[in-house]
Amino acid sequence: MTRIASESEAVEFVRQARAQKQPFEIVAGGTRRGLGAPIPALPQLDVSALSGIVNYEPEELLCTVAPATPLPEIEQVLAQRGQRLGFDPADWSVVHGISGTATIGGAVSVDAFGPGRLLRGPARDSLLAYRGINGLGEVIRGGAKVVKNVTGFDLPKLMCGAFGTLSVLTELTFRVYPRPSRAAVLAVKDTGPLEGFAHLRKIARSALEATGLAYLPSGNTLLPDVGRGAALIRLEGEEVPLGEKIVLARALLGVPLDEVDAGLALFEKIRDGAMFAGTELEVWRLMIPPSDAPRVAAEIAAPLWLGDQAGGLLWLAAPPGSAGPIRALAAAHDGQAMLVKAPEARRAALGLYAPPPPALARLRAGVKAAFDPEGLLNPGRLDSGSGA
Amino acid sequence: MELPPPDPNILARRDAIVSALKAIVPDGVVEDAAGRQVFDCDALAAYTQLPLVVVLPKTRQQVIEVVKYANREGIPIVPRGAGTSLSGGSLPRADGILLAMGRMKSILEIDYENGCVTVEPGVTNLNITRAVEANGFYYAPDPSSQIACSIGGNVGENSGGLHCLKYGLTTNNLLGVVFITPEGEEVRLGGKAGAQGGLDLLGLITGSEGLLGTVVEITVKILRKPPVTRTLLASFDSVPQAGAAVAAIIADGILPAAMEFMDKMCAEAVEAYNQPGYPAGAAAILIIDADGVEADVTDTMQRLAAVIARVGGTSQEATDEAQRARMWSGRKAAFAAMGRIQPDMLCMDGTIPRKALPEVLEGMARLSEHYGLGCCNVFHAGDGNLHPLIVFDQTKPGEFEKAEAFGADILRLCVKVGGVLTGEHGVGIEKRDLMPEMFTTEEMEQQGRVKCAFDPGGRYNPGKVFPTLSPCIEQGHLHVHGAQLPHPHLPRY
Repeated sequence: MTRIASESEAVEFVRQARAQKQPFEIVAGGTRRGLGAPIPALPQLDVSALSGIVNYEPEELLCTVAPATPLPEIEQVLAQRGQRLGFDPADWSVVHGISGTATIGGAVSVDAFGPGRLLRGPARDSLLAYRGINGLGEVIRGGAKVVKNVTGFDLPKLMCGAFGTLSVLTELTFRVYPRPSRAAVLAVKDTGPLEGFAHLRKIARSALEATGLAYLPSGNTLLPDVGRGAALIRLEGEEVPLGEKIVLARALLGVPLDEVDAGLALFEKIRDGAMFAGTELEVWRLMIPPSDAPRVAAEIAAPLWLGDQAGGLLWLAAPPGSAGPIRALAAAHDGQAMLVKAPEARRAALGLYAPPPPALARLRAGVKAAFDPEGLLNPGRLDSGSGA
Repeated sequence: MELPPPDPNILARRDAIVSALKAIVPDGVVEDAAGRQVFDCDALAAYTQLPLVVVLPKTRQQVIEVVKYANREGIPIVPRGAGTSLSGGSLPRADGILLAMGRMKSILEIDYENGCVTVEPGVTNLNITRAVEANGFYYAPDPSSQIACSIGGNVGENSGGLHCLKYGLTTNNLLGVVFITPEGEEVRLGGKAGAQGGLDLLGLITGSEGLLGTVVEITVKILRKPPVTRTLLASFDSVPQAGAAVAAIIADGILPAAMEFMDKMCAEAVEAYNQPGYPAGAAAILIIDADGVEADVTDTMQRLAAVIARVGGTSQEATDEAQRARMWSGRKAAFAAMGRIQPDMLCMDGTIPRKALPEVLEGMARLSEHYGLGCCNVFHAGDGNLHPLIVFDQTKPGEFEKAEAFGADILRLCVKVGGVLTGEHGVGIEKRDLMPEMFTTEEMEQQGRVKCAFDPGGRYNPGKVFPTLSPCIEQGHLHVHGAQLPHPHLPRY
């Protein structure tokens, strides 16, 4: 493992790797290593020294950080000025049973969006600019440190969800958002999936600007005594506006809405996949159109599951034989299934996502080659497996 | 500004090309000179070029066949939506097929349950909102040309509007597209689930200015119309004071739906033009919208008034819809009002860090003196997007060239303070040769390799965005003559 202390050292490392045609793995906190196809034993480039807030300008809504900055550090600094990251980044280390520090670079690279995606989009909608080293050992800046920019190709979008296959990230600039002073979590209890998800979609379609809409079925391990299930609604605002939003939400749904104790912590657990800690089953995240959630959940009938994003995201744990049907179902619903956790051999066989259609696969391979023609960076990380 | 020279071999084959296209789209080929002239420019009307031929497909299959044919024959393609680009993004080529998407204008599906609409690319931006507004929904990005501009063009340019700070640009409101590659392959990116599952090519093609292919189907998010919108007009004694107000508003945690700045010259011009009631003598004014549920908007309005008073400004809230409309009427008439001062005008488009506003305005005042040309400023203050309007008289020899040089200097100033060449109009041909001001050679080559991954033949919209010839300082901009815009019926603000 080579631990670099600066961007210029990282450039030197990549250039040497290139000269030697030696692929390598990029690591920092290491909490995302359980995701996706495992990388065979390769030299590691440890970028964890690239940490810290580089520049934070609250009045510009901009925060520039080094990629190995721990998520809690960023959230804390932003919170002091009444702000936050837009995509509500998740720390999935508990799912993988890994102790380590989840970093912002890792969260962006795997697009670990949380409930806040509902209103402010996934990582791609927050990342305005980056600096990174491509596979040629060149420092490339993409995007710009302003909120609105259409100059040249939007390269920051490509970095989100790229699993480190395009660049060694060295700096990230986010558009940040105000953090209202109050938040409340309300629940409709004893509601089945069909009805519960319908409640959530009704709120999503309203002007209430909910920042969390999740469904916990009966038998979930996060919230007891939910009867047939609970539809959870996170609303935010200053004191008086939040009060009005709660009144409006009650009127809109026409059912009892109880405030949930420790509701904010509950949404953090949903975000971080806490319900799937310790399971021996394979863990999946399915993105589907929200209205399909009850049907898809019923068809899979997973022993352990929950819904986020008003139904647009299903987390579930299922036995190994379910991979084929889960992926087929996601595809049939215009969606996608991400394999979050499985034993290494299974991850190698399945890959992170099902193989894309050939034309899309060719375009993506072309984009990968445009950044890393010799395939040095995190090789195989986004590859589809050989099959279940 | 130069485009790559036309290929004489293609020009010589024109009759055969026209026949082949007619076989694919029998009722949608424009070949005669008069017909082609309609398409000889977009809204950057200072530059014109007759296309080799115009083809107007009606179906996805026709698009695929046209693109495959052009690929086989090595003919350039220039995609075009409604032709409202302000940066020359759809300027035709003498040796290129102009692929105009205006006849593909069906709304394919409205899905309220999932908050999205799927349309063909020729549907206008405003028609998406019109299709859903009876049910209380709208499509958020609102470029000033929204009555005419097409959603396909919006995807190509990543169009913005007045409400980007809160609601984002096109890219933030897009869930999926069906995309035809320069080789004629159909690729689905994203969809109702908004899922990418691998490298985010949807994000990449959005705002790629027609260099990577053509979209034939688009799924966008729709939002519930906010129940309440209120407007506040603020005036200031100095530009730094207005800048301080903007910074304080953002730092206070307020996310206005829109926040527009006008400098003294601009405010006085519109006051003389349509009397929106702007305070006389103000060095700068802000027009601010807040939207949301009633209590939220009330709270925001109170905080706005307090913040503005704290920095020494004065503010006034519109008491009814009529007054709201009047406050906005001045901002929306800025172009027309400036057109009365001088017959010609260039509209620039850069983004700067908000904190640099006083410095940039001072720099522009110096440039204005240096060039001997007037310049007023409207500014999307919320997101830092600056639209300087340079006024001049083209009948005076050398004045157009001076205006262009002035404009290029303004954009260089934007880049120097940490900003960008274009916030929402696109690079097109207009700012192409300024790209090296912002990007290093390696960065340009990186983007060039991405282009090659989609279009190895370099046939899709060649000559746009990236300089292909030695840098040339000639710049074109939105050119307004006699207060007449290229599309005079479109509001421009």
